[in-house]
Amino acid sequence: MSHSFIDNDLLSRLGSLPIESRLPMMGNVAGKHRSPHRGSSVEFAEYRKYVPGDDTRRLDWKAFARSDRFYIKEFEADTNLRAYFVVDASGSMKFAGKGEAKIQVARRIAASLAYLLVNQGDAAGLSICTDKLHLEVPPSRRAAHLERFFSTLGKLEPSGETGLLPALHTIAEKIGQRAFIVILSDLFTDPAALGDALQHLRYRKHDISVFHLMDPQEIDFEFDRPHRFVDLEDGTALVAEPNLIADEYKTALRDFLTTVRAKCHDASADYQLITTDTPLEPLLRDFLTARLPKSKH
Amino acid sequence: MLFLSPIFLWFLAAAAVPIVIHLINRRRHKTIQWAAMQFLLKAARESRGKKKLRHILILTCRALSIAALAAAAARPIASGLLGWGGGSIETVVLLLDRSASMEIKPGDGLDSRRQIIIQKVREAMADLGNPRLVLIDSASNNPQEIPSPEILADLSSTAGTDSAADFPTLLNRAAEFLTSSTERAEVWLASDLQSSNWHHHDERWDSARANLAALPQKPAIRVLSLTGPTATNASVRVLGSRRTGDELLLDLEVLRSREARGSTSVPLTTNLNGTRTTENLTLPGQSLSFQKRVPLPSGSETGHGWLSIPADGNARDNAAFFAYGPARPAASLVVAPAGETAEYLALATAPPGYGNLSSFRVDPVQAAQAITPDLAAIFWAAPLPTGATAEAIQQFLTSGGQVLFLPPATASQNSFLDLKWADPSEAPAGKFFILSDWNHTDGPLRDSIDGTPVAANRLKAIRRQIPLGDATPLARWEDGEPVIARRILDRGTAWFLGSIPDYTWSNLGDADVLLPLVQRIVEAGTDRFDASYLTTVGSDSARLLPGETRRRLDDFGTPDPANTEYESGIFRLGERLLAINRPPQEDSPEILTREQLNAALDGTNFTLLDQAGQANDPSLSRDVWRAFLVAVLFFLLAETLLCLPKKSHPEVLPQKSPA
Repeated sequence: MSHSFIDNDLLSRLGSLPIESRLPMMGNVAGKHRSPHRGSSVEFAEYRKYVPGDDTRRLDWKAFARSDRFYIKEFEADTNLRAYFVVDASGSMKFAGKGEAKIQVARRIAASLAYLLVNQGDAAGLSICTDKLHLEVPPSRRAAHLERFFSTLGKLEPSGETGLLPALHTIAEKIGQRAFIVILSDLFTDPAALGDALQHLRYRKHDISVFHLMDPQEIDFEFDRPHRFVDLEDGTALVAEPNLIADEYKTALRDFLTTVRAKCHDASADYQLITTDTPLEPLLRDFLTARLPKSKH
Repeated sequence: MLFLSPIFLWFLAAAAVPIVIHLINRRRHKTIQWAAMQFLLKAARESRGKKKLRHILILTCRALSIAALAAAAARPIASGLLGWGGGSIETVVLLLDRSASMEIKPGDGLDSRRQIIIQKVREAMADLGNPRLVLIDSASNNPQEIPSPEILADLSSTAGTDSAADFPTLLNRAAEFLTSSTERAEVWLASDLQSSNWHHHDERWDSARANLAALPQKPAIRVLSLTGPTATNASVRVLGSRRTGDELLLDLEVLRSREARGSTSVPLTTNLNGTRTTENLTLPGQSLSFQKRVPLPSGSETGHGWLSIPADGNARDNAAFFAYGPARPAASLVVAPAGETAEYLALATAPPGYGNLSSFRVDPVQAAQAITPDLAAIFWAAPLPTGATAEAIQQFLTSGGQVLFLPPATASQNSFLDLKWADPSEAPAGKFFILSDWNHTDGPLRDSIDGTPVAANRLKAIRRQIPLGDATPLARWEDGEPVIARRILDRGTAWFLGSIPDYTWSNLGDADVLLPLVQRIVEAGTDRFDASYLTTVGSDSARLLPGETRRRLDDFGTPDPANTEYESGIFRLGERLLAINRPPQEDSPEILTREQLNAALDGTNFTLLDQAGQANDPSLSRDVWRAFLVAVLFFLLAETLLCLPKKSHPEVLPQKSPA
């Protein structure tokens, strides 16, 4: 693992923190995540009346002794988790103002979380989307798979306009089982359409987490002289006096962020606004801690 | 506005520096690859309104502050008088109104309008760096170079007079003076815009404008309007004087300013040959016209005097002068065949008991020999004169005589001055021709000086003859046909009366109409003898004839020996005794309207400075560089305020919280 976006020390420090799913998962192997089905874990779920055909080995004889009725004692089923990292590779992710490029931060977050997931026995897959490209690395829980994951991330070169929304709809349709969807993007798209895509994912009962990546310069918009702004996605140019339009720009951006956050909230997505100058360790630690069940805090 | 150091005006170009810097700065933009373009485009769309305006205001403030600094360095002289002309003035031609009305004091000061404007011109000249000053005063109309504006107030040619002003002449004289000048000149007209002094309908304005337009260096015209509120004022003047035996009948008029309200009492002092008497006059309104009888000392052949009222807002209109000569009998000629008409006319022209009135009758054929220049009036009740008689009557009219023509009582085709009588007409049985409408202010049926009307409506006629031709009707019958018509010929007047004092024609013989009518005609004819003692300043009769010298006889006021020619008073010019008064139009309150002024000075691109005669307006021009420095500070302050960042900027980042 010699990729620039992987910090081994960081991963070792975060290794003790599990990545928990907020929703029950439907894996194909046993794991540490809750399943919607009853299973044989040590976690008691409920009693139910015995019906003919039930496994008599699961009868609770103590309950029978107390009540003279047959009860089946059920336990939670634990299963593994499949995570899809959807990375926006549009041209706007290339922007690097005061901090790192947004795509580089996306690489680091995706790589770190993928490592932690595979390390705890879950599967991690990658979906890279632009308007012309939708590249996928299927989820796998094998350690060897990580190298392919990282390699694909490393070769990622942002360009063109965003293809995030079609990609999210495609994922929602394509993934049959519940999964953990991690979206890494600057979300420079129509917030209403984004809301629809998130609702689509939510309808499919996926656990959604959105890392909204912004450069501090995009938020502060501090310039001391006229600039010619060239769009990273479609090349549109605009000569402007930043001092004259700063207020309007900030107002428009604030409205956009508020709307996006509301859309994520409506879709029960976990929303994180990340500026590219934010240190990664506290960011991930907070993220992981926030996802722990209440009892494990 | 004028600049004493116009060289600094080149620095006005520096006002463009902030704009140039702005444009260069816009071209020196830095290119940046940008991701959040959607917000940028939206912001650019939304900021086109007030933000752009704010930026333009900032740029404007910067440019104006530099411009104001450059203007302040150029030492601006601000004045409504000077307008916005750039550069310096080399010659100022001052047309000064020295008329009697200019001696009125504004309501807010002790000096007259003439004194105030002279002071302001002096200060303005100093502000302008004392260019060459040429004075053309309204009394002499002669250009006069003034060596220094400082002495302007001390010159006799700027002192007050009792004359009238004539601005078309003044402007023509200014144009003549500037014909040979190639200097940058301005013509300043200092006037109270009294309408009678401007003669705005006069054709001489055309020549004045043409002369100005033809000048090699067209001068700027500035009108210093000396209008506005004035101090309380009253004036007295003699409308006419007539000696009747041992009495002098003076027609007088006392006027008060337009603002005067209610009745007031004014002491009127009469000085006759050094003897003073004072009586109180009650003025019920703004004017009072009355006739004053002044008893003359027995045996007095000639004499003079004046009437005066106390000093007030204008010292020049408080006295009116009169003079008189030997009593002269008023003889009238009645030209009519013997009969009732001739008798009534003889009785009306010379009523019993009036020794100075006399009349004699002749038949029409003898009229030519009977007409002499010393007749007061002729009463003609016969077919209109022709031939030598007509010529004699025309000459009599030309010399100021009065002639009343009455119908010949028969059809006649004779005409005189293109006027003739219609055939006699008779009223329907049981009805009369009744005089219903007559002029109460003009003509022989005018109301008396105290306002009492003549009982002209009592005139009824059975028969009449209507005057036909070009004459002005002054009274009409009920059916609109003229009863009395007037035709003025030079100094005299020919009157036409449409009926005769004969009981078969009308009741004219009752004297209600005939007596006042005839007596007023006789009086008008006599006035031309007495009028030779009265004249006005500037009139032909007030000028010296060859060999004459002027000597003032009265001791009223403080005469200025240098301006005797332009002052009112009692004078002896050679052998002539004259009471010279200010022209009556000087008492007229009528002011030139802006439209009339525009018409008079059309095409001269003149500048009007209103209220220049007010004492509380300290100067015609002011050094205003301080105002420009204040403007610099103001613009810089405004620029600073506009550049200040807003107190609260929009918060971009919402509070982070997990969904």
